[in-house]
Amino acid sequence: MNPAEEIKQLFPGSVVSTGLQTNKPLATIKKEDLLIIAEKVKEMGFDNLSLITGIDYRDRFEIIYNFFSYAKKQNLVLKVILDHDKPEVDSLESHWKVADWLERETYDLVGIKFRGHPNLKRILLPDGWVGHPLRKDYDMGVDQFVTLGEDGEDIVSTDGSNLLRR
Amino acid sequence: MRTEELLINMGPVHPSTHGVLRFKLTMDGEIIRKCDIVMGYLHRGTEKLGEMKTYLQFVPYTDRLDYISAFPNNYAYVKAVEELAGVEVPLRAEYIRVLTLELNRIVNHLVMLGSLLLDLGGSTMIMWGFRERENALQLFEMLCGARMTFNYIRPGGVREDLPEGFIPKLNEFIKDMENRIVDYEELISGNEIFIMRMKNIGVISAKDAINYGMTGPSLRGHGVNYDIRKIEPYSVYPDLDFRACVRNECDSFARYMVRIDEMRESLHILRQVVDAMPEGKPTSQAKYGIAPMTGAPTAVSTYFPRIFTPPPGEVYSRIEAPKGELGFYVVSDGTIKPYRIKIRSPSFCNLTAIPKMVEGLMIPDLIAAFGTIDVVLGDVDR
Repeated sequence: MNPAEEIKQLFPGSVVSTGLQTNKPLATIKKEDLLIIAEKVKEMGFDNLSLITGIDYRDRFEIIYNFFSYAKKQNLVLKVILDHDKPEVDSLESHWKVADWLERETYDLVGIKFRGHPNLKRILLPDGWVGHPLRKDYDMGVDQFVTLGEDGEDIVSTDGSNLLRR
Repeated sequence: MRTEELLINMGPVHPSTHGVLRFKLTMDGEIIRKCDIVMGYLHRGTEKLGEMKTYLQFVPYTDRLDYISAFPNNYAYVKAVEELAGVEVPLRAEYIRVLTLELNRIVNHLVMLGSLLLDLGGSTMIMWGFRERENALQLFEMLCGARMTFNYIRPGGVREDLPEGFIPKLNEFIKDMENRIVDYEELISGNEIFIMRMKNIGVISAKDAINYGMTGPSLRGHGVNYDIRKIEPYSVYPDLDFRACVRNECDSFARYMVRIDEMRESLHILRQVVDAMPEGKPTSQAKYGIAPMTGAPTAVSTYFPRIFTPPPGEVYSRIEAPKGELGFYVVSDGTIKPYRIKIRSPSFCNLTAIPKMVEGLMIPDLIAAFGTIDVVLGDVDR
């Protein structure tokens, strides 16, 4: 049976819609129920969280989880839609350890906050960076300069006039 | 007696991190208690750049992700775009693609073996590995003029057909490689020092490995019989005979042995590809979704359109790259540029397992375990 339909039967109130992402079963779910459904998804044998994608659609954020089950050789896609003003969702770090970095990356580049994440800070960009680059309203006209501080920490500033090279 | 814990920085510039990666190690004497990884020194914002380029223009950027094996990067992206746009690819193009992918898998594993042994203090393997790699790079050069960043696999096919004299040279390479792999095994696999450094080091259970997102050869060293070429077949892999190379020991040595087995398997695939290479055109010439602003398509086009518009939609497509599962998540909004590209890089996810793997080991073991995970920092930081 299609795992997306299975989830819909188990949680009829939480699933907004089911469908396909090209050829993978997809279930769009309510953001409040992500943790309960994720627990069930793990029980169903989806042991590999392959990817977390955050997308800025200007009026909303979408966050997409691609799961794979090594035992059943099945795919499952969960999609959560978030408000643009308050992009916040529960962390899946407790169920899939790989979510730790994937969520940090999504936070870093898209600016979605993950409730309950043990160490939610930037991973690719230096701490102190202004803005989240993969947002559509990110201002690319502002240069940001990163220098190394006394203790090896990154210092970000928008003023590059005192640097040797621009 | 209790001693004070010491924080040691390894990197960002350290020869055995294969790029710029920084380990923050909390040491209890010689034992690693905690390992934090700091990355991002090579972050170039590839995903953001993708939003500003047309679908074809983004292909060269994928070369720069995992620069040791650029063909699989090209292909993973192109496959996602083709799935999104529904492009039919000629059979000859698919065979040429598989040829490049498998050749690049051998090159990747040669570099991995060479650098692993160099980190452990043996410098012979990197000389031998690079000697054979040079032959393969010359083949790549014949094919597309470049040795590392190819920009060769494109939506609709490949850039150019196989040049004259390519197949005989490839056959020579295959024949040479067979004997070389025997040499490598004689050099490495039975080496007492190597075995001591690798056996029962960097052990992590298969369940943990999956949970930490490990994929590819690194996961197959943990007894997980899985290969995306097998379970989600793409290109012409269903027509080819090969097996997923699996080892059960869950340690660094098993992960090393999987690479050796995979090189043999790749040679086996290459031989079949050479035999079955069909005649035909290397590029689709279908007139697909040409953007209105470029005018009406001509009656006969001799190449696949450079600008095209996939219908709105999203796709996640993944392949078995030499380092693991490489996926591209591409969202189209019906214009000539992708709305969003997300890269699932194997190195990034494989690296997640390192802190767990090295807890309680010593720094030299970290280097050995890290070498067998086989990461490239261009791929981690994107």
